Order: sequence, then structure tokens, then C-alpha cells
Amino acid sequence: MTTHPSTPETESIKVASSHPDDMIRMHSVVKTYKNAAGEFKVLKDIDLTIQRGEFATIVGKSGSGKSTLLNMITGIDYPTGGQVVVNGTDIYSITESQRSLWRGKNLGIIFQFFQLLPMLTLLENVMLPMDYVDLYDFDERPAHAMELLEMVGLKDQAHKLPLAVSTGQQQMTAIARALATDAPLLIADEPTGNLDSKTANHMIGIFDQLVRQGKTIVMVTHDPSLTSRTSRTIIIADGELIDETVVKALPLLRHRHMLEITKKAQRIMVQPGEVVLDCGQPVDNLYMIASGSVDVMLADGKHGKLLAHLKAGELFGEIELLRGGKAIACVRAGHHHPVELLTFPREDFLRIIEESPITGGALGNIVQDRLEEHRVKSRM
Amino acid sequence: MKPRWRKVFLDLMENKARTLLVVLSIAVGVFSIGVISGAYVIISNDMSASYAANHPANIELRMADFNDDVLTSVRNMPGIANAEGRRVFSIRARPVNSTTWTVIDLVALNDFATNKVDLLTPIVGSTNPAKRQVILEKDALKNLNVHVGDQLEFELPDGTTKTMPVVGAVQDPTTGAGDFLSPPFGYISMNTLENLQQPDLYNRVYATVSQGQDNAAHISNIAGDVKDRLVRSGIPVNRVRTSKTHEHPLASTVNAILGILLALGILIVFLSSSLIANTLNALLNQHLRYIGVMKLVGGRNRQILIMYLALIVSFGVLALLIAVPLGGQAAYGLAAFIASELRFNLLGYRLVPIAFAIQIAIGILVPLVAGLVPVMNGSKVTVLKAISGDLARAEGRPLHRGPKRESAWEKFQTRITVALSHRGIHIPRPFLISLRNTFRRRGRLALTLFTLTMGGAIFIAVFNVRVTLHDYIGAIGNYFKADVELDFTQPYRTHEIQQYAMQIPGVQRVEGWQGLSADLLYPNGSTIDTINIVAPPANSAMVQPILVSGRWIQASDERKLTISESVLPYYPNLKPGDFLPLKINGRTEQWQVVGIFQFVGQEGILGYAPLEYVEQVNDLVNQSTSFRIETIQHDRAYQSQMADTLDKYFRTHGFNVLQSQAGLASLDNASQSLDTLVTFLLIMALLTAMVGSMGLAGTMSMNVLERTREIGIMRAIGAVDSIIMRTVIAEGMVIGLISFGLAIILSVPFTYLLSYIVSLAVFETPIQTVFTITGYLIWLALILVMSAVASILPARNAARLTIREVLAYE
Repeated sequence: MTTHPSTPETESIKVASSHPDDMIRMHSVVKTYKNAAGEFKVLKDIDLTIQRGEFATIVGKSGSGKSTLLNMITGIDYPTGGQVVVNGTDIYSITESQRSLWRGKNLGIIFQFFQLLPMLTLLENVMLPMDYVDLYDFDERPAHAMELLEMVGLKDQAHKLPLAVSTGQQQMTAIARALATDAPLLIADEPTGNLDSKTANHMIGIFDQLVRQGKTIVMVTHDPSLTSRTSRTIIIADGELIDETVVKALPLLRHRHMLEITKKAQRIMVQPGEVVLDCGQPVDNLYMIASGSVDVMLADGKHGKLLAHLKAGELFGEIELLRGGKAIACVRAGHHHPVELLTFPREDFLRIIEESPITGGALGNIVQDRLEEHRVKSRM
Repeated sequence: MKPRWRKVFLDLMENKARTLLVVLSIAVGVFSIGVISGAYVIISNDMSASYAANHPANIELRMADFNDDVLTSVRNMPGIANAEGRRVFSIRARPVNSTTWTVIDLVALNDFATNKVDLLTPIVGSTNPAKRQVILEKDALKNLNVHVGDQLEFELPDGTTKTMPVVGAVQDPTTGAGDFLSPPFGYISMNTLENLQQPDLYNRVYATVSQGQDNAAHISNIAGDVKDRLVRSGIPVNRVRTSKTHEHPLASTVNAILGILLALGILIVFLSSSLIANTLNALLNQHLRYIGVMKLVGGRNRQILIMYLALIVSFGVLALLIAVPLGGQAAYGLAAFIASELRFNLLGYRLVPIAFAIQIAIGILVPLVAGLVPVMNGSKVTVLKAISGDLARAEGRPLHRGPKRESAWEKFQTRITVALSHRGIHIPRPFLISLRNTFRRRGRLALTLFTLTMGGAIFIAVFNVRVTLHDYIGAIGNYFKADVELDFTQPYRTHEIQQYAMQIPGVQRVEGWQGLSADLLYPNGSTIDTINIVAPPANSAMVQPILVSGRWIQASDERKLTISESVLPYYPNLKPGDFLPLKINGRTEQWQVVGIFQFVGQEGILGYAPLEYVEQVNDLVNQSTSFRIETIQHDRAYQSQMADTLDKYFRTHGFNVLQSQAGLASLDNASQSLDTLVTFLLIMALLTAMVGSMGLAGTMSMNVLERTREIGIMRAIGAVDSIIMRTVIAEGMVIGLISFGLAIILSVPFTYLLSYIVSLAVFETPIQTVFTITGYLIWLALILVMSAVASILPARNAARLTIREVLAYE
């Protein structure tokens, strides 16, 4: 069994070395603002990879740094340190002006406040990016733009100015504009923030459809009902990303507790079949499965009866930590793949649970269920 | 410092470019008014004071040659205080190494040390030339391109030359002061006359009256009396000029021109105030939130109003700090320039209190008035409106009010675009943004267009007026169609001169002309002015009059004349067929007017009568002293060359040639003087154009400032720097082009008005207005360059904006 610090390994990310499946790769991204009061770090050493075809949401409280994170991806702001590679381009190695053109070709941005140009009609708004990146023949642009407006159900409104249509229609136009240059990546900042739930649902439906067509979508949102419809949730708190294993294992915790766990947790690798926790052994940590799976066995780990098969995002050790005593079952890495685990110390865990009654209650239920299962299987 | 005054100070410093723009736009107006009012006061005071200080003659008599006895009799005539005799004659001169002759008027004086009338102001060197020495008026130094100490070569009547040193330079504020177009002067003592082959006799009397020196009627009466006495004694008087002691003869002309400049200055103030109103409107819009916050914490309308008024006053004070010292300097500079052009002295550098007061009043009051409405509206805004609602919209957040109706203008714009696209004409969206942005702030656009259009219309009008004036000078050329004017000191038979002249290759036609000098009288018999009756052959092709009414002279006319329009001020209802009382050779005669022509010179009233009649009156049948020669080419260079050839030719054949000069030479000085005037007008037009372009720059900066969010969006969807810049610059140029279209229209009445005022001031008569494409083309080029330049800085600022700054998420 090998252990690593919780920070991911420092690998050098260059444009050429970026994996072809990676749409976004952020490496050690730091953003610091300076004001009269001193320096203020908004993003702290962020490492993040989003692969092509993913539909990811970025979640965080107000002031957590999520919009700054988004700005780093869109090239709207610039990092104080680190590297951002989007669709194979190190976007901060080029000038602001070049970045604008790159953005036009590679990104479609959908803003919370739509940001349509008020002096242009919906159709003209959609055509504008085509003009800027010189896509399609000049005379073909109206037809392409009209197709996109038709897709979002606004063909009949094409020649109206933004002020003459509803907010929902404005946001649909913004989506059409984001698709105007057929960019592979769509970035949406609170896209449903100003929409009613029906329109918001319609919009997410369009996003689903686009993801199925191969687009990558990264969306900042506050709305928990939207995160459930995406393939991945990235939580940012106090300028740092919360380990996604923690998010999955303890979803009801407050973000600051999640962050504390992310920071203090030890990352360990366990080889296939290797015992993680032996029966009767004192348990001093909570275990969260980052990747791979483990088998929970009765009696000794080699020949005992299989009690449960736990996968990535699940946890174990909580019964012993909450109730005290030694391990009532043993845990072994799955036979086929190594297991990556996060371990979190007992004292910190108990304190956090005490401060988080909801999570404590939820864990209590899990403990009850597992003990019940243990009892049943022990009798068999 | 109280926090609210600190805020006023910070507002001044917060956006230095905006502060500079407002301050400069106030400063330009204050400066213009300061320059013109200062110059006006200095000139109107010093022009006449300087003129009076040189003891100007009240009466100038241009006579046939006379001696000291005649002069003494004039001195003894009643009402005359002082009289001096001088000999004034034209002569060609050049620096010794030059080949170009310049015609100057040489004035011979008896005693430079004791002269009492028409004094000369010393500048450098001697003021008392000895025999065979010359001193020059400072303009003559410039025209001849010589310096004191240089040798000057004169061409004598017999064709030989004489060289004399220039021993001094003087300023002559009085001789020729009434003539806007007078030639340069030189001065010699009477005992030099024989060296220049001139008789030792006077031909002018310069006299002052003993009382009533500023009473025009009194002076005129004395002058008429003196003339009558002389004529009765058998001494012909060709011309009488009178002037007051304490009024420069050109004072009214200069005042009229300064009046035009003042009107332009006021216009500039007006234009800059619209610029101030624009800027303050934008400033107040930006400050709406602050006003809301101030009200939220207890600020009252009055306090806020006073704060912003204080800000405006600060702008004014800053502008005054720049404009007042500069304006004072420039006022004196302008006055000095005009003084130098019109040959008078200023009484020394000084601040003009009234100009100073006007500047302060304008610098403080105009911005206050211009800013009052926006500031009052801004201070009245409710807290709710200031910190919510409309502000959210200003930041690009749509309100949840649902769709609104498009305005008629918005519908019109989109329909035009759709209609064009149906016809296959697609306007690129970036340019569409520029076009439609132009009309988004229509109030601001109107003020900017007003400023630019006025600047443009005045600029174009000045060019038209320039051409109008030159065209008029050209029209004067119709009366000087001869290519060479050849004058002799004695009469020769016309046939003889024709025979000789026709020997010279290039000469086509020779005519002998004569003339009569008469006094135009009022019906009561008092003298109005001298009338010069020119007598060409009735069928002469060398004068092509522009007739206003009646007909041209005929060979059979006796005691009939065609007369210039300049008679009309005295006989307003004069029409062909009427009779005019003229005094010729001491006899009053009734001459019938057969025609009235357009030509008003500065030298009195002009009339034409047929040679066929006048030669009998003069008793010089088939003879003449003055000949007009037509050559095969009519350009200035050829004329000069032919004048030289004829001059030498006749001298070598023993004729007594007085002078031979190119026909167009007499127009040269006139054109130069008019160009000086036009330059003044042009400077003012450029100032208005400058205010216009500052207005445009301000508007574009404000537009960019208000549209930073939209620029951010453009960047977010792929617009590179150059596209952003192009979008902003194109908008500026669209505004420029619209103003050009409007300026074309407005320039028409402006041209008529300006040429009317200027021609009245210079020629004392309205002249026919002429339009030229030049002004339009130059303004088009200028407005395109100015709009591009005015938009470049805002465009650069726009391109520099990072999206984060403009779309600020958090």
C-alpha cells in the first residue's frame, strides 16, 4: 500500500502533452487579486481536467471563486500562475486579441444576463460571431443563423430586436449564438438564473441534446436540480476544488467541511486483493473510495463471507468510528484493479459530524442499515 | 475637507481624460472670445491712437506739379493749421543682385527732421535720408527683400538705373492708411529727386485743419474750399481725400471684420457649451448610483445639486487657468499682426480688463448654464431609481418586465436591413453595429452633429468667400484687360506709338487712353468726392464692364458717362438717364448717366466716358500719355516680360516713358491683402472645426464608456482588437459624414451671409457670391480624418478593455 499527499502529482502540462480526450486541463492555476487591503487569493492551485463530451457543472457559494474559475477557462480573465489548456491551446500564451478570435472559434459562451447586443436583431446577433471568425461564405451566414434560431424555436422572431422578445427567448438566442461557430465547448454561466422553470428545463433539454452530439458543456449553477442532470459536479469552496470523492461520499456536508476533508485526507493506493482493514483491527480513519472497488468480508479477509461490494464514491469505517471499537468486518481491495482510497482521521471526522447534524443523521442511517445487514449475514 | 468636497475633488481626478475634455472644450470657447474681445479692444483703441499720434493729414490733395509758392498759399488758406508738400511717384526698384522689379511709391519730403504732418515712426537706422539715400517703410523692406544697409537699384524714366543705399526703416501709419490695397512706400529727400530724373516739385499736399479735426463735414468743407481756390488759381487738383484725426480710415473695416470674428467666437462658445452639456449628461448618468447612495445616507437634493455645481465651477476654473493667459497673449498677438498689416503701432502689451471679465464670465457661466439641466435632473433622481431599476438595465441586466415594443425608429432600421437583405445586399454585422450605434443616443448625436455641422459649414463658407473675393478681384480685371499699361511723361500721337509698338513681336493692339478728374457734387453744389473719368475708345476691347443697368459708352456720347456703383451711397435712386452735377476744371456741368457698372475700387468713384469726347475736352485729339497694349498672351509672366520689352524699346527710341507695367500687377496687392483677411476667417473656422472634433471625441468616448459591456460581449464572441477599433471608428466616421451632408446644406446661407458682411466691410458694396468645390473637398477630407482621429483614442481604449472588466460576473 502506497500513500501520497492529497495534492495531485505535479506533472508538466504542455499543449503537446495534453491528452486528446481532454477538453479542459487546468494545472496549478492561481489567481490573486490585489487591493488596498493586500493580496487576496481567489483561486488556490487549481488542477482540473474536463474531458470531451462531459456535461459538468461547477457549483459553489457566492464568492467561492466559481466565476473566476470559469473566466480562467474562457480566457476572459488571466491567471496569476499556472496553465490553462483548452481544446489543445494554452490560452494564456496568446494575446488578448488572439484569444478573442480563438474564443470565437472554440467556445460558445452563454451568460446569465444573455448579453445580446441590443442594436442587432436576433438573427444578426447569431450571425455576428460568424462575421468575427469569418466562418461560412458571407451570403450563407443568414441561412446558417436561421437554422440555429429554428432549432431553438425562434425562427419567427428572427428579425426582432432583443428587447422585443421574452427573457426566455433572449436566452435561447444566446444559445443559438453560442452555437453559431460550431464551437466544441459551451460555457454557460448561470444560464437558467433568469428563466422560469419551464424554460430552464427546455434549455437543459437542448444542452443534453448537444452533449449527445459530442459537445462539451461546462455550466456554473446554483440550482441543485440541474446538477443532478449533469454527468459531473465540481464544487469549489474558498478558491479550492473539493475532491469529487468527498462530494460523492459525503454529499450533505457543508462545503467548508468537505474542503477540510479534501485537505486533510490521505490518498492511498491498495493493490488488487490486498487487505485494507482486518477484522478486529482498531479503526482510526474514515475510508472513501476514489477509484476501484472493495469487498467487505465477514471473519478474516481471505476466506470470509462477502458482506458488501463498495464502489467509487462510497465509504467504510464509519460504523467503528461512530460507535467505537474494532473493525466488525474486514475490507479487501477488489481482485482486478488497484483501489485508490482517501483516509480521514477519526477525531476530525467525529468533530465534523458533530457540527453537521444532517450528515450525522444520514450516516447514522447508513450505519443502521449496514449493521442490520451484518447481523443478517452473520446468522446465515 | 468635508467628505462631499473630497468627492468633488476625486470626481475631477477620477477620469482625467474626461476632465481634460470638458476643461479643453470650455477653454477653447473662453480662449476664442478672449482673443477676439482682447484684440478688438486693443485695436479699436490703439489703431486710432497710433494713427492720431502720427499727426495724420486731414486733407490730402493730389495735384499736378507745384512749387513752394503754391504750398505757402495753401498754408495761408483759412482753416488750415499745417500743410506740407511732398512728391509721390511710382518707381520700379530691386535689390542690386535681383532681377525682379517691384513697383513702390517713393515719397519725397522737404525736411524729415521738422515735418509735422503724416509723421514717420523710426524703426531702425536713419530717419533723415541724405541726398541719394533712401529709407523704406517696413513693408517695403519685406516686399523688396532688402535690409537696412543694402543697396537698392531704381529704374529711371530714361531706362537707366540708379543705385542708392537703404539707410533706415520706418513705419508709416498714415500715408496710404485709407487704402487697404496700397503699395509699399519708400522715402527720399527732395534733393534726391533730380537723381531719379524727377522734377523738384511737389504733387501732393498733406494738410491738417486748425479745428474740427474729427468733424468729417468740416474737413470736407475746408478741403473743397482749398481745392476751389487752387483750381481758380489754375492749379488742377486731381483728387481730394479727407480723414479725421482720431479715427483710422480703415477702423470701420477692421471693426467689421473683428465683428465677424467675434460672431464666430460666440458660436464657438455656444458649440463648446453643447459639448459640456453632453459630457455632464454622461457624467451624471454614471454617477446615478453614487447619487442614490448619497441620498440613502441623508444627502438632500440641494446638497447634491451644490456638489455637482461645484464640480462644474471647478471645470470652469481649470479652463480659465489655461485659456485666460493664452487668450491674453494671443489677443495681443492678433492685434500686433493686424497692426503690422495695417501699419500702425500698438501702445504696448497689456491685459484688457473687459476681455478678462468676459472670459471669466463665460468660463464660469456657460458651463453652469449648460450643466444646470443635467445636474438638476440628476440631483432629483429618487433613491429607488438610482440604486435599482434603471441601473440594473444600464449594467446589462434585463428587467423582468417582459418584451417591449420596438420604437418606430428601431422598426425602420431593422426593416431597411431586412429589405436590403431580401435584395441580396447584406450589411456586415460589425458595420451594422456602427450604423445603429450612431443613432442610439439621439440627443447626444444631435449636439455633436450641430457642433460638427456648424464648424463644417463655416469652414466651407470661408473657402467660398475666399473665392468670391478673388472672383471679384478677377472681375476688377475686366476693367484692366490690357496686358501692358504704358505711361509717358508727355503726350504722344496715338498713331506714332501704335506704329512703334506693333514692331515688337507679341503686340496685337495698342490704344491711347485719356482721363478726366472731376468732383462729384451734391445737388446743393457741395463736393462729395473726386470722380476719375477714364476715357478709352468707345469700342475698346480692353475694358469689359459688368453693367448693372443702362448701356456702355458710345463714340457719339457727349457729357455722358457710365459710372460705378460706388456712386449709389450718395445718389441711391440714380438710374440711367439721370443727370449728375460734376465740377470739371472749375466748371460745374451736368453729365448724363447712361449706364451703371459693377466695380467699386478703393480709390474714389470711377466713371467711363468715350475717348472721342474726352480728347476734345482735354484738347489732345489723337494723342495720349497713357496707352493700353494687348499682347498675344495674357499670363502674368508674359505681361511682365512684355512690359519690360516695351519699356526698353520706347526708351531707346527716345520716348519719355514714365512707367510700363503688367496689366495684372495692380491686382497683386489686392489679392495678398484679401488672403490675409481670409486667413483670419480660416483660423476661426479651424477653431470651430477643432471644437467640433473635440465634441466628436467626447461623444465617442462617452459612447465607448457606456458600451463597454457590449464591447466585452463582442470580445467574448470572437471580435479581435482591430474589429473593435473599426467598429468604433466607423461610428465616428458615420457621424462625420452625416455632419458633412448637413454642412453642405448649411454652408449655402453661411456663404451668402459671410460674403455679404465681408464684401460690405472691404468693398463697401455687396458682391456676387461664388461657390467652389475646394472647400467642400477639403472639409470632406478633414472631417474624415478628424472623425477617425477623434475615434481612435476611444477605440483604442475600447480594444484595451478586458472582458472581465466589462462583464464582471461577481
